Amino acid sequence: MRSAEETREALGKRFPAIEVRPVDPAPNVTVHADALRENLAWLRDELAFDFLVFMTALDRPADDAVELVYRLFSHESRASVVVRVRLPRDGARVPTVSDIFRTAEWHERETAEMFGVEFAGHPDPRKLLLPDDLDGHPLRKDFSHPNLVRLPEVP
Amino acid sequence: MKENVTFGDRDKNVTFGDRDETSPPATSDEFLLNIGPQHPATHGVLRVVVTMDGEVVKDIVPHIGYVHRGLEKLFENRTYEQIIPFTDRTDYLSAIANNFAYVMGVERLLGLEVPEKVQYMRVLMAELNRIASHLLWLAAYGLDMGAFTPFLYAFRDREEIVSMIEEASGGRLTTNYFRVGGFVHDLPREFFPRLRKFISRFGKAVNELDTLLVENAIFVARTRGVGVIGRGRAVSYGMTGPCLRASNASFDVRRDLPYSVYPLFDFEIPVGRNGDTWDRSWVRIEEMRQSLVILRQAMEGFPEGDHKARAPRNIEPPAGEVYSAVEGPRGETGFYIVSDGTRKPYRVKMRKPSFSNFSALPEILRGLKIADLVAVMGSLDLVVPEIDR
Repeated sequence: MRSAEETREALGKRFPAIEVRPVDPAPNVTVHADALRENLAWLRDELAFDFLVFMTALDRPADDAVELVYRLFSHESRASVVVRVRLPRDGARVPTVSDIFRTAEWHERETAEMFGVEFAGHPDPRKLLLPDDLDGHPLRKDFSHPNLVRLPEVP
Repeated sequence: MKENVTFGDRDKNVTFGDRDETSPPATSDEFLLNIGPQHPATHGVLRVVVTMDGEVVKDIVPHIGYVHRGLEKLFENRTYEQIIPFTDRTDYLSAIANNFAYVMGVERLLGLEVPEKVQYMRVLMAELNRIASHLLWLAAYGLDMGAFTPFLYAFRDREEIVSMIEEASGGRLTTNYFRVGGFVHDLPREFFPRLRKFISRFGKAVNELDTLLVENAIFVARTRGVGVIGRGRAVSYGMTGPCLRASNASFDVRRDLPYSVYPLFDFEIPVGRNGDTWDRSWVRIEEMRQSLVILRQAMEGFPEGDHKARAPRNIEPPAGEVYSAVEGPRGETGFYIVSDGTRKPYRVKMRKPSFSNFSALPEILRGLKIADLVAVMGSLDLVVPEIDR
């Protein structure tokens, strides 16, 4: 059994640029899209981060980036870690991790349709929640649709 | 069922969404069975397309999204206070757990300390809600499996809880009771006498339900050894809550990522051995007993104080992000909230237990008989609005 402190130490050794963002106590590591699979597999196998709590994205048009967020939890050490990947907004593409964590399959399908991120090698890249004929990616900040009309601001 | 499936000439070109011309052709013994989106066994609007070989399930493709309301997009255009009632409606059977997780997240963003009495009230409400949710599951699952009587017993007890919650909050299911920093109003004076009466009576009622349904010979024959998922697969599919604990994995957010005043209470976490449908049922029965243990301790240690903290009227958390999770009746219910320092969140992601639990369905069901589908789906305790959000 590895303790949370040992896990934290091992994380710091592999990822020197580890950071803690305001409020949430979990350490954050940012990895390159090409190194994502390798790092997630390493976290799962070496540090027993066996549980992908969720995976989602943040659209940051100001930085022209889509940021993927993978939150992992270890049933063994009870530690959490957040893995981030920054992608360009146009042509956001990242390899799938659905074979490393099976739950990623649905989370990636949802992220793909909502944020327009392509998951290369995904076993089932259909839409998950949205209708098949909907164009665009609703959770992007600049999403527009003819039926979507902004109500006047109430003072 | 020798030919490929067509529903008359008019529907010759019908496709099931997942099967198009690139899919391998169905062999002579294979056929597709469409269940849902309106079907009593699905307990909501979801659909599964099952590839059958005779009576055996060869493959199963779930289709979800029928009640997708785009809540996460909506949240980006609402203030922090306005979001609370929406969280009720993601899982109408555990509105309290959803309120709890969201409100706790905003409080962490604000750095707001919450009075002890509020923490105790939250634990009381959350555990009552857990029992009510498990009772409804038991009733509905009994009906699925052909047992009508447990439904009447379970609803008698559930009514008691729901009316207690109604007395406190004004709502039966979608309570909208929590606020950032506390509650909308204090517990009514009659609450504790009713709770005491309920606690003294309910222990016996659980035993009754246990013998009526879970220990029933027909029920055991239909569920034991059916729909097994091992610990490793369950974790990989992100399963949480009773469904995970049935697979011999001891993980409970209340103990492992402690929040509120749960560390003060002494309770056990029931863990199943085989990860089959029966274990998933048994774990829920045991959880009701443990909730009762927590309720008793929370009632005895209930402190004096204020039912809300002095929270700012306009909630504008500083820029930052937080993930706050609670153990809901179905598993880890979490809110990932990103704030950019304005009155509206930059992004709210809801991590919902039914979403991950349901995604394991094909894994569990492959190779079983079609009659087991109802048993397995019921044992996952799905709430569809929570899957679709």
